[in-house]
Amino acid sequence: MNDEPPVQTPPTGLIPPADFTTFMRAYQDMVYSTAVRLVKNEAQAEDISQDVFLKAHEHFDTLSTSPTAGGWLKTVATNLSLNHLSRYRNRWRFFSEFRRDDGAGAEAGEPEVEFAAPDTFFAGVDAGERRVLVEAALGKLPEHQRVPLVLYHFEDLPYDEIARKLGISLAKVKTDILRARAALAQILARSGTPHETFNA
Amino acid sequence: MKPTPEELERIIHQTLRSLPPRRAPHSLESRVRAALEARASLPWWKQSFARWPLAARVAFFIGSAGVAKLVLMAAIWVMAGFDGAQFAGAFSTQFAWIQTASAIVDGFGNFCGTVYRGIPPLWLYGGLAFVAAMYAALFGLTATAYRMLYANR
Repeated sequence: MNDEPPVQTPPTGLIPPADFTTFMRAYQDMVYSTAVRLVKNEAQAEDISQDVFLKAHEHFDTLSTSPTAGGWLKTVATNLSLNHLSRYRNRWRFFSEFRRDDGAGAEAGEPEVEFAAPDTFFAGVDAGERRVLVEAALGKLPEHQRVPLVLYHFEDLPYDEIARKLGISLAKVKTDILRARAALAQILARSGTPHETFNA
Repeated sequence: MKPTPEELERIIHQTLRSLPPRRAPHSLESRVRAALEARASLPWWKQSFARWPLAARVAFFIGSAGVAKLVLMAAIWVMAGFDGAQFAGAFSTQFAWIQTASAIVDGFGNFCGTVYRGIPPLWLYGGLAFVAAMYAALFGLTATAYRMLYANR
């Protein structure tokens, strides 16, 4: 875990960065976050982030003055992460997930999420602890649920775009995201936060 | 109380979007810089083809076409039994390369046919069965190993 203070400045998209290093510092957290939330593995996410910035360097003349540089980087990071997943994990995913294709899901036997209508999971938990808990909970989701959930909630992709990117049906995307939310809620409810109002 | 799907979506969205970005490792910047320096230090012919000078790219295409023609000529010369007259005749017409390619394909087909006819059927079917059995065994072994060593971690 990297606990040192951040070295980058927030991307504005309006002020052209003076050099590539400044550009990279402005966007490296965003690129790394996108990759690590999709592939889950930190070392692989760093490799993907490196590839993203090597590609960005080839187009730096355009990107350095573009207000949409952040979107470009995020799209490239997403695509490289999905390529990575499909290239290295298709066979393993088949081995590990075909048993879940009956529609019941791994979480079918678990109790349903119930709560007293909270607005948030972590009413009194500080931001640092909350981040760790939610990131850990995300990491516990199986890949076929985590990836569409991340694409929907973090990358703001619509269902049909997610289905197209993942090469699966629209119905499966919706089902997987629905189950992912329920599973995430289950995990967060069990995470033992003292102010938790969930009863799983 | 069980949340409605809409309520759950709203809460999950709010929870996820409140997360700050994950901090990139400090090694990322130095890795990218090192990769860029390594890439810049490469001579142009070791860089990606798109970065080659235009003249070099044109020369490469012309050279590749020449090499392809030489290979075809050599192949037909060998198949003609090193007969210079037949070799010259094959290239005397404008579309000789079609005949050449056809001759190569025919020759390869004849060679494969000869080899196939020379193998006893029992060996052939036995070999196929062996390969299929080994493939199935490897598939099952890999799946089992994955389930035991990785999937349950």
